[in-house]
Amino acid sequence: MVSLDVTVRSGSSRRRAAMVAATATLVLGLTTACGSSGGTAASADSGTIHVLVYGDAGNTVEKQLVDTFNKTSKVKAVLDTIPGADYQSKLNTIINTPQAPDIFFNWGGGSIAPYVKDNLLLPLDGMIAKDPGLKNNFLPSVFNTAVIDGHAYGVPMRGTQPVLLFNNKQVLASAGLSAPQTWDDLVNDVKVLKAKGLTPIALGGGDQWPTQMWFEYVYDRVAGPGLFEKALAGDKSAWSSPDSVKALGMLKQLIDAGGFGNNFDSVKFTDGGSPALLAKGKAAFELMGSWEYSTQQSGNPDFAKNDLGYSAFPSVSGGKGDPNDVVGNTNNFYSVLKKTQHPDAVAAFLKLMYSDEFVKAQLGIGNLPTTTNTANFLATSASPAYSQFQFNLVKAAPSFQLSWDQAYPPAATTTIHTAVQEFFDGKTDANGFIQQMQSLTNS
Amino acid sequence: MSALSFTTELGRRRLKARRPGVGATRPGFAWAVPATVFFLLFAILPLVLVAVLSFTSWDGITSPHFNGLANWTKLIDDPVMSQSIWLTLVLTLLGVVTQTPVSILLGVWAAGRQRNRAVLSAIFFVPLLLSATAVSVLWRALLDPNFGLPGQLPWLFGDGNLLGSQAGSIAVLTFVGMWQFTPLHALLYQGGARAIPQVLYQAAAIDGAGTVRQFFHITLPQLRNTMITSVILMVVGGLTTFDTVLILTQGGPGTDTTVSAYYMYEQGFKNFDFGAGSAIALVLVVVATLISLAVVRISGYDKMRSTAEGI
Repeated sequence: MVSLDVTVRSGSSRRRAAMVAATATLVLGLTTACGSSGGTAASADSGTIHVLVYGDAGNTVEKQLVDTFNKTSKVKAVLDTIPGADYQSKLNTIINTPQAPDIFFNWGGGSIAPYVKDNLLLPLDGMIAKDPGLKNNFLPSVFNTAVIDGHAYGVPMRGTQPVLLFNNKQVLASAGLSAPQTWDDLVNDVKVLKAKGLTPIALGGGDQWPTQMWFEYVYDRVAGPGLFEKALAGDKSAWSSPDSVKALGMLKQLIDAGGFGNNFDSVKFTDGGSPALLAKGKAAFELMGSWEYSTQQSGNPDFAKNDLGYSAFPSVSGGKGDPNDVVGNTNNFYSVLKKTQHPDAVAAFLKLMYSDEFVKAQLGIGNLPTTTNTANFLATSASPAYSQFQFNLVKAAPSFQLSWDQAYPPAATTTIHTAVQEFFDGKTDANGFIQQMQSLTNS
Repeated sequence: MSALSFTTELGRRRLKARRPGVGATRPGFAWAVPATVFFLLFAILPLVLVAVLSFTSWDGITSPHFNGLANWTKLIDDPVMSQSIWLTLVLTLLGVVTQTPVSILLGVWAAGRQRNRAVLSAIFFVPLLLSATAVSVLWRALLDPNFGLPGQLPWLFGDGNLLGSQAGSIAVLTFVGMWQFTPLHALLYQGGARAIPQVLYQAAAIDGAGTVRQFFHITLPQLRNTMITSVILMVVGGLTTFDTVLILTQGGPGTDTTVSAYYMYEQGFKNFDFGAGSAIALVLVVVATLISLAVVRISGYDKMRSTAEGI
């Protein structure tokens, strides 16, 4: 700045002075722009609560419920959406700033654990004490996903997405097979299908998380849900236990038998590769979240209508896990920030998440809510038989394990994905996998 | 040294000569202020902040707190990090080796006056107009093992598991990079080749040199400076490869194609460990600077020697 002054004085050109002034204004403008960006506080607006949601097709229902809420409430709700798959990183950026919402969408479990640790979230225990319905009206296996250290931090707000074993009915029929009831059935089916020159099981290994689903189910069937819960709680010996080794041995057996073909790492679910394998009859099975159904409906409507079969994951004889257990995404949740100015309005808003209107609207767009009153409306769903099957499955499940990469905090995701992929493509053996999982920290 | 004193001498003389004129002196510091402020604000300041962050533990939510050398000691022992530097260098080198010959040939050809040249050149340059993301998505679909090219050409691709091995993934990344960036470099070479004085070719033709000899003895030496520019662009681009990795391989299989830039993103924006991400970023900055300096030194680019001396 000093040198600037000197130039102005000695230069004595009017044009240059004007230039310098313009530059100075620009610099000032920049600094003020940077300084003021944190000024407008969302929660300081009196009488509004901000609801932040993952932006996608499901927003129609959230919009409808916000409108319903605003009809009767003095405090108005405002719906904000963050479009795209980067929701978690954008949420992370704003959650401890004045722009943070009052209520926000999340996946429960590990996705909110860091915020709980940083003391940003409001435990909902007080609200539940006033209105026990905020807990009792939801299926317990789902509600528990957002319970951390014994406190409830979230209320389910969309549909459940259990992982199911999908099949191509036509392929199975032509091979003289039916959906496998036990692990031995599955291994046998793989042999038969492979002999016919098919890829027995479609796997989008390039995405990594579809591979992880196989671990989640086999570990559950062999060891029960306890093994993973122990590991998540920090007991690393769980990964080296005999049950863990047995589960890895079974997976290895299926991989070596050619169950997934040999180019699964070049296939993805997200770009339509593995669903196409199933739909075109090049593969017989795919283990996938319940969204496989809507994926096939939009990509291959005829196949979805006529030949897409589904069943629960097979049981394992001698395994400790209940064959009724499911894994997957239990639901999405609304969590509340501690600093909200209007906790009563927030409680009133959350109560809408078990209203009849909510259930009907969610079923209308193909989601399966996890409230106890959902059963009354299943007939109105877009595909009643499929909804009924899933609802019964989730309702009867003694345990509904959240996907591993979501049960652990986000920092663990890469390690888990690398571990499952390297085990499947043979780069590491059971010991390598166990070591990688033991390197995870749960906080 | 003598050249330097000559210029200052010249400058002084020029300054003296123009002093009587009002406002017509050499551009002052004020002219550089806008660019300098932008550079300080958006390049130097973030760099300093990254350096500071690399000594902290920060999840992006609460305020960062210093943890000394923890990120750095972790990074030194991290096999993924050392592998990522190695991978980055391999991909960069492969990029230079594959893209340079093709773009020189294309560029020199496009500089000529053949029939249909303009139309064909326009087609060659199409990939330049597509975003890296679009290019990657396109090739991902084309290389699908079941429904893409490999499914149709099993004699060439085997089981089609291109992205299932390290060698295959690196080959795909190199090929897609080549497809995407060759047009840009061909454009540079086209401009360079057009600028070569025709008299050189005419003289060579009189001496009996054919097209091939003309290419090796006139065109290539004359393109030296263009080549250096192009290689530096390739090196810088190669060291910061990110988008193609993100879409084509996501650093996989396993961590087999986790290049430094992707690893930085993964640590920072997927694992929310901004301290570790910053440390990787700083390593990347240092490595890239050293390599750029080396290229400039070795090639003699800093001497700014002309290729048209004596013409």
